[in-house]
Amino acid sequence: MSIELWVEKYRPKTLDEIIDQEEIISRLKEFVRTKSMPHLLFAGPPGTGKTTAALALAHDLYGEYWRDNTLELNASDERGIDVIRKRIKDYARTLPIGDVPFKLVILDEADNMTSDAQQALRRTMELYSRTTRFILIANYISKIIEPIQSRCAIFRFQPLPKEDVLKRLKWIAEQEGVEIDEEALEAIWEESQGDLRKAINTLQSAAAIRKHIDVDTVFEALGKVRPREVKEMIEEAVKGNLVLAREKLRTLIYAYGLSGIDVIKLLHREVLSSRSPIRLDGVPLADLLVLIGDANYKIVEGADDEIQLMAVLSKIALLAKEASKRSG
Amino acid sequence: MIPWTEKYRPKKITDVVGNEEAKKKFIAWLNLWLKGKARKKAALLYGPPGSGKTSLVHAVAHQFGWELIELNASDVRSKSAIRERVFNAARMGSLYGTRGKIILLDEVDGISPREDAGGLSTILELIQISNYPVVLTANDPWDPKLRPLREACELIEFKKLRKTDIVKVLEEICKKEGITCERHVLSAIASNSKGDLRAAINDLQTIAMGKKRIDLADISILGDRAEQASMFDIVRIVLTAKRPEQALAVLRFPNLDYEMLLQWLSENIIYQYTPSYRAIADGYEALSWADIMLARMKRKQIWSLLPYALQLMTAGVASAREKPPFKFVKYKFPEKLRRLSRQKEKREKYRQVAKKIVEKIHVSTRTLRNEIAPFLKIIYENDEDMAKKIYRSLGLTREEFETIIGK
Repeated sequence: MSIELWVEKYRPKTLDEIIDQEEIISRLKEFVRTKSMPHLLFAGPPGTGKTTAALALAHDLYGEYWRDNTLELNASDERGIDVIRKRIKDYARTLPIGDVPFKLVILDEADNMTSDAQQALRRTMELYSRTTRFILIANYISKIIEPIQSRCAIFRFQPLPKEDVLKRLKWIAEQEGVEIDEEALEAIWEESQGDLRKAINTLQSAAAIRKHIDVDTVFEALGKVRPREVKEMIEEAVKGNLVLAREKLRTLIYAYGLSGIDVIKLLHREVLSSRSPIRLDGVPLADLLVLIGDANYKIVEGADDEIQLMAVLSKIALLAKEASKRSG
Repeated sequence: MIPWTEKYRPKKITDVVGNEEAKKKFIAWLNLWLKGKARKKAALLYGPPGSGKTSLVHAVAHQFGWELIELNASDVRSKSAIRERVFNAARMGSLYGTRGKIILLDEVDGISPREDAGGLSTILELIQISNYPVVLTANDPWDPKLRPLREACELIEFKKLRKTDIVKVLEEICKKEGITCERHVLSAIASNSKGDLRAAINDLQTIAMGKKRIDLADISILGDRAEQASMFDIVRIVLTAKRPEQALAVLRFPNLDYEMLLQWLSENIIYQYTPSYRAIADGYEALSWADIMLARMKRKQIWSLLPYALQLMTAGVASAREKPPFKFVKYKFPEKLRRLSRQKEKREKYRQVAKKIVEKIHVSTRTLRNEIAPFLKIIYENDEDMAKKIYRSLGLTREEFETIIGK
């Protein structure tokens, strides 16, 4: 049974099915034809087909045996480099099945590894280079250490062009028997830009609301994507209800399971939201950005989520109070 | 020489001074226990040292003629030690026929997870199987490691003893020992003890050594007793300090758990400083800096940062501008610590379900949580059929799906 999450259901299975990133795809096809390839590094923003291309390459190389010859790892989910090394070691011990002389290791979100872990990974890559090829996937190439970059053929994935994204969305809607207005498609594009995963997720959740998707349906779906508690948390702080603001913060952290950094990012987005930005009279936007950026930095450095976010919210409460005094 | 603290341990419940409420509560619990109606099978007596927790249990045993089975901090309290010394006694009848028994595990907050391996879980087991009342004592019951014990116990709080109660006991002892001592001298000893009767009696015995008469000059040999204040007291000192320097005083308390203090202050600062937003914002600014100093200290092993962190969370907080006038606030235990321990189980469940999904859709748990789950939630709330199709195709039950979208 195919997976009914549309991003997965309509994920291209072979290189031929991938319409974008033509240059990259044609090189990958060449690897398939010659049954030889170097280590690869796929870099680029989310939703541009990096993982899809890696899986399709595996599929085309090994055909029906692709799962037996491919080890998929996600650096963010594995507990430390030692676990990753052990899994690679166990896997690389056996020989590939079929006529391709190597097995594949796909390591997603490799840029989430520390540079020490990447050093260790580099040694692992060398150790098994006779029997395995690595495909490393990253959003930011600059976060991959140079010794690894130099061992890989680097492919940069570009954000998908608008016409291709819209074409794909229309095609999926057709397959699913869903109608969608041009204006609604535009709205999805505005929000997702070249991120096809986000675009398709938005399409499916809009389709869950109404089978004929108009622009309002899209906004309805998008309005629900972000936890409303973020906005409510800020509103309570602005009103001076810090105890309630803290309750909202705790809902985000404990009920939604968000990390402090996730909440900071959502807070940041609210401040810069195009539709209803948070503004305080007489408070320069720069002050708010410094406040949020500083908390972000401290949390990354290992500080406590709740204390740092409450420090931001209590400052917002103070600024709001002063603003209302000035104005009235 | 017998320590006077042992020699004069109360033999009757009425001889235990102070803490009338706690005594009543404890006796009431014992009575329910004997009738088999107690809500909790064990009691946890908690409070500062020398407030009469252990003495009360001794007095009860003595007065009712019960056998007292005791295990205290000087004993090893590992799993095997507890099993060997207490389990049989807890199950079997008394050596003396039908006599009752009471089991006392003193100072459970001192059980070390390392040296007394398995001790805490063994105590839980003991509570379950015991045919006799089990009583635990602790100074600080809010230690996270004691949470399971807290839940299994009737909690009974002991407060610091009042000076007059302490003086009364000291007078009694002097009379029995044939020592002449003026009341204001005893009063000075009592003050110095800061509500700790054990300390006061020990001090009295030290000074009285080889004397029949003591006066004020004798007590000069006593060192100032550093107070083992509770977190509530420490928070109160910091948040109600009139000058920043006053808040620094809490750093002199032995064994100050500064990470705990940080959480306690963060929990309670809003309540104490409302309605002054300036004071709250200033206080939080100091806390956020104390927090990051501690993080840097630990991560980069820069121990010289510790004083800044400590001073920021005390004097720094107390230097907030526009603090409101003093008011009495009932402080709360940090909600964050409470939730974190509850959260563990939930997180583990989430992790297991997420693992099933991420393998099938080729993303990380983080991407699932932040970029996919919000859409799944919309689908779940608006289109039952589509949601069902999705979770079935992912091999999930409805309940597992709900775990992922946080329902």
